Amino acid sequence: MSAKIDRQHRDSIAVEDCEIIANEAWPGNQWRLRLRSSTIAARALPGSFVHLRCDPELPMRRPMSLMRAEAGVIEMLYKEVGHGTRLLAGKKPGENLNLIGPIGRGFTPVPERPFNLLIGGGVGIPPIFFFAHHLQRNPPPGSDADSILVLLGSELPFPFATRPAQTPVPGAVQDPTLIDGAAMRDLDEKAIASRLASRSGFEGCHFGHVGDLARLWLDGLDRTWRDRVAIHACGPLAMLEACVALAHQYDLPCRISLEESMACAVGGCAGCTVRIRKGTGVTMQRVCVDGPVFDGRCVVFQSELRNEDASPTNSSPLVDKTL
Amino acid sequence: MTPDPHDRRSLRTDFCGLAFDTPLVLLSGCVGFGEEYTRIEGFSNRDAGAICLKGTTLHPRLGNDPPRVRETPSGMLNSIGLQNPGARAVIDEILPRLDFSETRFIANLSGSTVEEYADLARCFDDSPIDAIEINISCPNVRAGGVAFGNDPEMSQRVVEVCRKETSKPLIIKLSPNQTDIASNARGCIEAGADALAVVNTFMGMAIDVESRKPLLGAGQGGLSGPAIKPMALLKVHQVYRVAKPHGIPIIGQGGIVSAEDALEFMIAGASAVGIGTALFYDPLVCVRINEGLVDYLKRHRIDGIDRIVGTLESKDR
Ligand SMILES: Cc1cc2nc3c(=O)[nH]c(=O)nc-3n(C[C@H](O)[C@H](O)[C@H](O)COP(=O)(O)OP(=O)(O)OC[C@H]3O[C@@H](n4cnc5c(N)ncnc54)[C@H](O)[C@@H]3O)c2cc1C
Ligand SMILES: Cc1cc2nc3c(=O)[nH]c(=O)nc-3n(C[C@H](O)[C@H](O)[C@H](O)COP(=O)(O)O)c2cc1C
Ligand code: FES
Repeated sequence: MSAKIDRQHRDSIAVEDCEIIANEAWPGNQWRLRLRSSTIAARALPGSFVHLRCDPELPMRRPMSLMRAEAGVIEMLYKEVGHGTRLLAGKKPGENLNLIGPIGRGFTPVPERPFNLLIGGGVGIPPIFFFAHHLQRNPPPGSDADSILVLLGSELPFPFATRPAQTPVPGAVQDPTLIDGAAMRDLDEKAIASRLASRSGFEGCHFGHVGDLARLWLDGLDRTWRDRVAIHACGPLAMLEACVALAHQYDLPCRISLEESMACAVGGCAGCTVRIRKGTGVTMQRVCVDGPVFDGRCVVFQSELRNEDASPTNSSPLVDKTL
Repeated sequence: MTPDPHDRRSLRTDFCGLAFDTPLVLLSGCVGFGEEYTRIEGFSNRDAGAICLKGTTLHPRLGNDPPRVRETPSGMLNSIGLQNPGARAVIDEILPRLDFSETRFIANLSGSTVEEYADLARCFDDSPIDAIEINISCPNVRAGGVAFGNDPEMSQRVVEVCRKETSKPLIIKLSPNQTDIASNARGCIEAGADALAVVNTFMGMAIDVESRKPLLGAGQGGLSGPAIKPMALLKVHQVYRVAKPHGIPIIGQGGIVSAEDALEFMIAGASAVGIGTALFYDPLVCVRINEGLVDYLKRHRIDGIDRIVGTLESKDR
């Protein structure tokens, strides 16, 4: 019997002490952290994350997405929001951080959908950036070199260099920002189309939410064009809900990366579960190992729960058998 | 990563007739259903003498609203709310996937009525599980749980009915949220407990002062981790005095993160020690604690870990 048991998950997550190469401050209390890593760097995939010790003083780790993983280096982007990230911001090159990772099921292309619309907001940008590079290097069947559009939103100054876009946005584009707005330099240099949105009035950026910019782009496409598109998004909950609403409106597949408080990050504590629709029922899935990327159209958002009586003891659940 | 088994021979111990390779027990609710931590490279179920599976109820439960976990000074609060797929799914789909050659597996059962506890014990008696732990101390459910555990009469009734349903080793997990844990322990022993787990989490809460809302979705939860260690240790000390004359062993737990912590609990009277929250910070903590225990025994020229159980010297001697 034991031969039939699937134990592929075993040993998939490494524990690694990683030396800080740089911990760089960007405006708006945002930081870009580069670490030396062998195992995690080699195994990381877009959308996967690490669980790291910001400081030995803290009893718990903090989950953080990977922005880049190559040649023995991993990079992260984080915002100082509380005690842990504040301590992390004080770390200097040469110091070590203990990480476990890479963790989770990340972004993957959707079959039959060769065009990928990637939407990132705030510190949700890292996995989107990672996925864009990954798609360019590993184009899914039917994709061309210009089958990616990255739309990024932030109310804080963007934590990366921007420039007037040189890579044109694919599709039938009319909006001025989509035609010749600003782009993320790193992506633009690699000929990956990107555009920016903000309500803070930054130059070259669409004035509004990134979801609105996505809508402008989708509105300009004809039906056959749109049927080739899949949405992938990571960012604040309101942005993700807007992306799922867009996906419903245009009938597009939509994958979103979720955040939830975590203790173990390996599937052991059920601290990070979210409700996912399955058939006519609901299953509890763990953001850490069943996600963090889920089919957005199946996610039950807290805002929906508040509108119905969804006391856990009243519903008759379909529960994930792995936990 | 697993140290040479010969080095670890001194850690072998017998617990209620079960052979434990080391006195470490991975605690319920921290390691899912036994496979989750094996994702970690260097982690092995063999580094623990036993693993307590996630708290299981008769019917599936979705658990509480998020957030369910929250860091607190030197510890954490949780309000998972016993999310689990229900006894039938655990027995039919999860137990067959476990590798019983790696370690001992203990079911952790929670009912909302006395009858449910009996039904659960009966279901698991007819399963390959090595032992049954009765959780009468879960702070995160409305019915049963800690409400039973803090009521000595109810505790005793739960133990009695479960005892009738199973011949497997029966471990009763006690609540620290009660005035006289020792007398409750005595009642459980008289009702047929084979062992005691001391203790479950302490009830607690945390508030976001900006929104003036509780930080846990459920409002309150259970406190674990180093923050509770001195209190948990005292509970073990108190329970050991009543358990010792009956030869009833204790799984001491609450905030253990090092070999020294584990030794404190064993000296206070625990035959085995639980590791829960510590795993979240250091998933390879068991390897480290096992090594520390072996080293301690060598330094003190003691040939078996059992020999230190309950060896607390009184201060005035
Ligand atoms: C899968 C995943 C990927 C993430 N990626 C990034 C990233 O790339 N960049 C980034 O800046 N942030 C990211 N976050 C959020 C980040 O983990 C939190 O901002 C961070 O934990 C805050 O810690 P703190 O001590 O500074 O804040 P506090 O508010 O003081 O934290 C208190 C506790 O709440 C938890 N917590 C607070 N906010 C969050 C949150 N949004 N998600 C989960 N736990 C939280 C903390 O871990 C800590 O245990 C990610 C979260 C998840 C789940
Ligand atoms: C996230 C979490 C979930 C838990 N779930 C259970 C449970 O289902 N059943 C149970 O008896 N105890 C449960 N506990 C309590 C632990 O098993 C343990 O008794 C307690 O955490 C104290 O040990 P520690 O400080 O080493 O974690 C849980 C604890 C945590 C942190
Ligand atoms: S954080 Fe423990 S299960 Fe996801």
